[in-house]
Order: sequence, then structure tokens, then C-alpha cells
Amino acid sequence: MAVVRKHKSDPVILFSTLGLLALGLIIIYAIGPMRANVLNSTYGANYDQNFFFVKQLQSVALSLVAFFVAFKVVPYKFLRKWSKLILIIALALSALLWILSAAGSSLARCELGECRWFNFGGMSFQPAEALKIALVIYLSDFLARKKEEGNIGKWQEFWWPLCLVCGASLGLVVVAQGDLGTGITLIAIVLGMLLIAGVPAKQYLILLALILVAIVGFIVFGGHRMARIESWLATLTGASSDSTYHIENSMLAIGTGGLFGVGIGNSVQATGYLPESINDSVFAILGETFGFVGLAIIIGVFVAMLLRMLKVADKTPELSERLLVVGIFAWVFTQIAVNIMAMTSLAPVTGITLPLLSYGGTSMVFIAFAIGLSLQISCYTSREVTKNENTSSRRGVGWTHHSSRRRNP
Amino acid sequence: MSRTKILKTITLVAFAIIAVRLFFIQIIEHDKWVAKASDQHTLLETIVAKRGEIYMMNGSEPVQVVLNETVFSVIIDPAVTDKDRIITALNEHAKDQITADLDKVFSTEGLRYYIVAKNVSHSAATKIADQDIPGVWFQTNNQRAYPEGEFASGLLGFVNADGLGQYGVEGSLNKLLSGTNGLLKTTSDINNVALSIGDDNVKIPAEDGKDVVLSIDRGLEEKVEELAKATIANTAATNASVLVLKADTNEVLAMANLPNYNPGDYGNVKDESAYINYTTQNPYDPYEPASVCKSFAFSAAINEGVMTPETTYFNDHYDIVDERKIENAWKGSNVYGQINMKDALNWSLNTGSMQALRLLGGDAENINREGREKLYDYYYNRFRLGQKTGIELIEDAGSLIEPNANMYGLNAAYANMTFGQNLNVTMIQTITAFSAVVNGGFYRTPTILKGTIEDGKIVESNQEDRVEEQVLSSETSATMRDLLINNRSSKRSQGIDRKGYSVGGKSGTAQMIIGGAYDTTMEKTVGSYAGFVASEGGMPEYVIMVKLWNPKGAKLEGKDAGYLFDSISNFVIDYFKIKPGGV
Repeated sequence: MAVVRKHKSDPVILFSTLGLLALGLIIIYAIGPMRANVLNSTYGANYDQNFFFVKQLQSVALSLVAFFVAFKVVPYKFLRKWSKLILIIALALSALLWILSAAGSSLARCELGECRWFNFGGMSFQPAEALKIALVIYLSDFLARKKEEGNIGKWQEFWWPLCLVCGASLGLVVVAQGDLGTGITLIAIVLGMLLIAGVPAKQYLILLALILVAIVGFIVFGGHRMARIESWLATLTGASSDSTYHIENSMLAIGTGGLFGVGIGNSVQATGYLPESINDSVFAILGETFGFVGLAIIIGVFVAMLLRMLKVADKTPELSERLLVVGIFAWVFTQIAVNIMAMTSLAPVTGITLPLLSYGGTSMVFIAFAIGLSLQISCYTSREVTKNENTSSRRGVGWTHHSSRRRNP
Repeated sequence: MSRTKILKTITLVAFAIIAVRLFFIQIIEHDKWVAKASDQHTLLETIVAKRGEIYMMNGSEPVQVVLNETVFSVIIDPAVTDKDRIITALNEHAKDQITADLDKVFSTEGLRYYIVAKNVSHSAATKIADQDIPGVWFQTNNQRAYPEGEFASGLLGFVNADGLGQYGVEGSLNKLLSGTNGLLKTTSDINNVALSIGDDNVKIPAEDGKDVVLSIDRGLEEKVEELAKATIANTAATNASVLVLKADTNEVLAMANLPNYNPGDYGNVKDESAYINYTTQNPYDPYEPASVCKSFAFSAAINEGVMTPETTYFNDHYDIVDERKIENAWKGSNVYGQINMKDALNWSLNTGSMQALRLLGGDAENINREGREKLYDYYYNRFRLGQKTGIELIEDAGSLIEPNANMYGLNAAYANMTFGQNLNVTMIQTITAFSAVVNGGFYRTPTILKGTIEDGKIVESNQEDRVEEQVLSSETSATMRDLLINNRSSKRSQGIDRKGYSVGGKSGTAQMIIGGAYDTTMEKTVGSYAGFVASEGGMPEYVIMVKLWNPKGAKLEGKDAGYLFDSISNFVIDYFKIKPGGV
């Protein structure tokens, strides 16, 4: 194993994160007052015009703290050491929420029959988000250890404990909280990490098939999920109904944006027509506001960040660290892709936030923390994973050696 | 291929699909979505012009008789609203306006919106709102209010649910009253609140309707209606119409149609015949003022110089015209034989007015074409019978048979026209013609619209289109006044007409036309009376016309109409403080 010295972090990941957070702030600043108006006039609420912007500002501040803590303060090795405990705490939080909601406690906040939040003193916290990062950290350690032990692919040593952990996580998120979006994200995280951990191809394909069957079964036998699929199919064929309202209005927002968009503050869809306009549907508002060009740039930034994560993973000699980065990649990728595909009617609506842009504190803070971790790992990449690092070449170079301008052949 | 390459490929493919999809939605389908957005976001709203209010005159001051009122509908969300509290509040403040079965509303599953009371007054709505019951809200409606209830309903008309004036002044002057609606086209939020976003927002303000002042004298109208009601109560008549006009201007001071209905509750009127203003319209049966028209035939002959009140003819109670026997109503021996026209009018002899027609033709023995043409000239061209008068109300034209019409019995028809049958006219035509007969010979277009109120002042309506034409010489008119005064005083002056005043008039009893044919039994009749009031020896100040009828048919005599006239003429003398003359 190569000895890797710490070097500069990946600037693409760093600046795209900061840029996206800033953009999220701007868009909430523009449409937050509209959201407040809608809630005030429809439900007789009394939100201040700046309520949502201020909340978003707090979330962004908190996210920046989490981001830099993960980046600079907490070494991954420390997290890895406590990964079991972290997972147990995360699972325990979700279990606690389940118990509290079953007991009807006011500490559990429920919306539309799904109880996904802790509620204390005006602050809310979504334990499913903690579970994602915990699972990523735990699996990075677990899979790396199994690899070292040569137990990958073995039933007793590998599959059995893995299924236990994943089953518990999925059970708490999907069944207890009814959160299909997080469920999909968790599955994607596991699949991504297993792929890199070197699970035999045959086993991996069987697993894929099994998951596919499970998902189909889950959809068919879960009433409202089937309805979502049906409404999605309906929008594809151009039919219109109450259940297609959300997708239609997100497409309408995106479609009216045209090439350059209607401009900041001119979104009409945000004035109440588009459901969830500040959180799950913020991509549609971005499309209306900034148009195709704007969305292309935003997607470009996301893609650059994701590819950078893969690059970091590629160049990281330490397996657990590589697994960690891939887990984070899978997480961020899934949320971006599933969210945008839902907004453009390429996939059914699952209720997933758009990383760094959607209004919503917990999700933003944990994603920022995760990306911060990947940035930490980016400081320990090696020019060539398989060879010893040539330390002499580390000095006097203004740009990090893995930057795009100095790509290895 | 390394396994991270697989992930990289998945990423690139996924986002390539997304990019293509976005290009499709945002560039290719852009216009479609913009059109859809415009449908969804554009609020097209009519800015309703404020309807003008209606005034009558009280002396020289306008008084409001029709106004706009803001009323409220009370709407509840049964899932939120406290049942006991809302029921108590409604019973306390708006009991009569409750429109829903509240128990049922509250027991209906899943109901989130229900109108529980309508037409709640502002004060009552405020009291209910003050109780702050959750899930209760109010919707404002502008409603036409007729604070005096049934008063002058036939004249005023009503406003229907679409905001359109119907019948009466509301219907006739709808354009003036309703103004012009404006238009608001704007991008709006989901609650239809206008947004400043969007560049094709349009706002055309509404032009409010005019406040209209009628020439009607409120106090007189009220008394006339009261007297007419009493007549209906005491005679076989079920309907009465009355007109009072100022004789020198033909301004309408009273226009009554009894029975009244409540214009604020017009929907509960069972038969739409109740809405008709019978002073200007006769949609169901032709109106024949009968012997009232003798004053027109007489003035024609006198004005042509072919007849005087002293002209005599031989009355044998009937004439045969076109092989038809036309009889007098009164066949007393006192009038048999040689008789002068003055007595013929006093006894309302049909033979007398037919003689006037003969004299018009220059042949004392036969009715001829020249006579018909002369009579038609007076009736149609001068008195404008069978023509719309031009009053500012919905009116019928009626019809007259032309003097050279190709029909059998034309002479008989014209003989009938001399005593007011075989024609179809309106009351307003008749009284306007009658006014010309007595007011010095001037035909003036009747008017009911005094003007509009602008900035608190009355702006007189444009009177340029009104006809003012001398159709009789002032001598003829003076002769006619004497004849009509004599007609009253010879029969009805036993203390009815007061000393110092000259009151003249002529009654008319028409056979009712049932199914297009006269009821020859004279058991079913329409009673009319037209007359004028003057200071003794002076010019007429007011002309008054009364019509009594029963749509189902009843024997009504000129006498019944005459009694109502008497009470109105005497009231008019007092009400307008006409100075007695010749004392």
C-alpha cells in the first residue's frame, strides 16, 4: 500500500458545493415570499415574507459548518473506528421516531400520514438523512474489512450481516416512515459500494434482479405507490387528472422557462400552482427562472462534482476511503437523478430533495457533511494508485496533480 | 473496464437523457407550455360597473327609491366550524337569511364548503364576524334594494340575477343605469390574486352607471297607488293603472300599476303579466279607451270647422254602417230626436261621434273616404295614436286601421274608432293626445326622465328629441275644455268637484275583447277615464288617466274609473296647492 501524503483538496467539488449552496439561497430568496403568501392566504397562516429565506440562510450556515467539519475537523479514520456505533445510533433514532409516532407523541412530526421528522422547539430533524451517512460510513468499514479478510461474496461472513443491516435500515425508512425516496437512495448507496467492493459479477447481477423484483412487488402491493406509477404513466401519454397535477405543473414551469428563463423573481408557478415549489420541486422553478441554459449549467456543475468524486475514488489507494467516496457519490447522484427525472416526467414522483438546492435543513446539512468527507478524502489521493507516490514531484506545482489539466495518460 | 468506469458511464448516460429531455420540454415544447401557462395563470375578470340608483322627486328635491346594497353570503367549513356557535350566531343575527339545513350540513361527510345564509345585511354580517368562529367566511354581493318594497314596482321593474334590468325603468333605462363594465386581465397566483409579474396585463376601468332621476313625484305616486288599491278592493276590478301628467309639459308625475309586486323578490311572482307596465304596454289584449276617444273625434271635427257644440243631428239610438247596427249605450227618450253635440258628448252617444266623422267627410248622411282620411290624420299624425310616444320607457306602438285599407266594413271600423273601439293604443298615447286636446292644442312627447345626478346635482336630460307641435287651434282646445267640463258638471258635479276649480273629463267603457272578438253582452268591460284639473277659468295644470280592468272579465263601468279619477283629481288639487280661481 502506498504512503500517501496529504495534499490540496479537489477544487471542483469544493467550489461546486459552495456555488450550489449560494444558488439555493438566491432561489429561495426569490420564491420564499411567494410560498409565504400562498400559505398565508390559503391556510390563514401568518408567515413573514422573509421566513423561508431566513430559514434557508440558517440551513446554509449550518451546512457550511457541517461541510468544513467533515472536510477539515473530523478525520475519516475516527468515523471509521466508531462506524458501528454511528450506525446503531442512526438506526436507534429512526426506531425512536417510529415508537414516538406510534405513541402519538408531539415530538414526532407527521405530514400526510407519514411521520418522518423529530420536532423539538420549532426545529425539526429527519433521522433518515442521518441513516444515509451512517450507512455509508459503516459499509465503507465493513466492506473494506471483508475484502481484507477475503470474505467478500461468502454467505455466512458477508451476505448475512449485510442483509441484516440493510434490511433494518430499509425497514425503518420505507415501511415505518413510508419514505420510498430515501429507500431508493439507500439501495443505490449499497449497490454502488458493493460494485466497488468487488462482489463477484454473478452474485451482483443476481442481487440486482432480486432488488428489481422486490421493488416491483413493493409498488404493486403498496396502494398509493401504484397510483403514483399510474399517474406518471398518464403524464407520459398526455392525460390529465388530479394525480398528474404535480408533474404537469413542474413540466409547465420547466417548459415556460424556454432557453433563458423568465428571470429571478418572475416565476409564476411558484405563486402556488406548483406543489412543493421550494423543496422537492425547486428544480422546476430553476428551470422556469433560468431556462435551458441555466439548467444545463446547473446540471453541468452537478455532473462535474459527481465525476470528480469518481475520480477521487479512483485515485484513492485506501479501499475503505474509496468505498466511502463511492457511497457518497451514489447518494448524491441518486438524489439528483431521481429528483430531476421526476420533475421531467422521466420517472414517478418519489418525494426526494435536490441536493444543496432544495429548502430543507436536515437533508442539506447531511449532504454537505457527506460531500465534505469526500473532499477530505480528496486530499489523500495518489497519482497512481498501484505505484508508490513520487514525492519529489509534489513540490512546486501550483495545481494539484489530479486536476483535469494534468490528466494521467 | 474498471468498476468506477461503470458508475461514470451510468452518470453520463443518465444526465444525457435528462439533458435531451430538458431540451425537448424547454425548447421544442416551449410554446405549448407557454400557452398552457397562459391559460392557467391569466385571470380574466370583469370589473363590474356600479349600477346607477333611481330617484323620484319630492318637491324639488330628488329622493332615492332604488339603491344598491352590499349583502353577504355566510359560508362555513363544516369540518372546522363549531356547530353550536354558528347556529346560535345565525339564529341571533340572520335567522331569516338562513338558506341551509344546518343539521344536514354538519352531518354530511367530507363537506368543506357550504353557503348557509344569503343576503345577510352588513350589520348582521359584522356581528357574526365579530364572534370569530373558525372556518366561517363571508362573500360580498351587490344587490339591488327596493327599500319601499312593492312601491311603484310596475314603473320601476327589477334587476335579474345576471344584473340585467327587466321591465319598467330598470329594463328601459338599463343601458344608462348599468354603465360599462371594465376588464381586468392579469397574471395571477393560485388564489386569483393579481401579480405584478407579466407584461400583457390589461386594466380597463369600469364606467359606472348613471343615477337616474324620474319626474315622478314620490308623494303623489304613493297616494295614487293607495287610492287605486282601494278601488281594486271595492270594485270588480283586479287591475288598475293610473297616469298623472303635468299638462303643459307632459312630464309624468305618477305612473301606477296595481297590483304591485316586490321587485326585490321578483322570482316569487307567479305570472309574468304582473311585471308589465300597462300604462305603456298592452302585450296581452289590445287596449281601447272607448268613449274617451270621442274627445278626439270631436276636436277633429271642431278644429276642421265642420262642427260646433251646437251642431245638431237626429239621434235614433243607432246607425247602420256597412250593414252593421251600431247602437248607443244610452237609449233614453231624453236624447231621442234632434240633439246637439254638447248633449251627445254628455250622454256619450256613439251616434254623435259617428256624426262628427260624417261631417269631417263633408257629408252629413254618409261616412266617406275623405272623412276617414281626416280622422286618420288627426288620430295618427296629430295625436299619434298607434305610434310610440317616445317616452323613455319600453312601450308598444299599437295600431290603427288605415283609411284606405282594403277591407270590408272599413266605414264601420272608422265609425267604431270615433268612440274608441277597433283600435289598439296605449294609455300613455291616450293621455298625451288628451293633453293636447285640453292644453291649448300642443302635442308634446311625454317624459319620465328628469335627468341624471352628477356630483350631487341634477343634470336635466336632453329634451331636444321631444316633439312639440300644435295639432289643434287654441280655440278648438278651449271649446273642448268647455265641453269636457260641462260633461262632468252636467252629471257628476254633485259636490265632487270643488268650487273654484275646473275639472273636465270623459269616461270610456270598452267591451272586452276575448279571443279576438268583442264580448257583445257588455258584461265584461274595461273602464277608462281621462280628465284634467285646472283652476277655474284657467289652463289645465294636470291631466289624469285611469284604467280599470279584470283580465278574467268583469263588468266595469266608466263610473268606477270615474270615481277613482275623482279622488285623484281632488287629491291633486290639494297636493299641488292649486289656487282656486273665479271666486
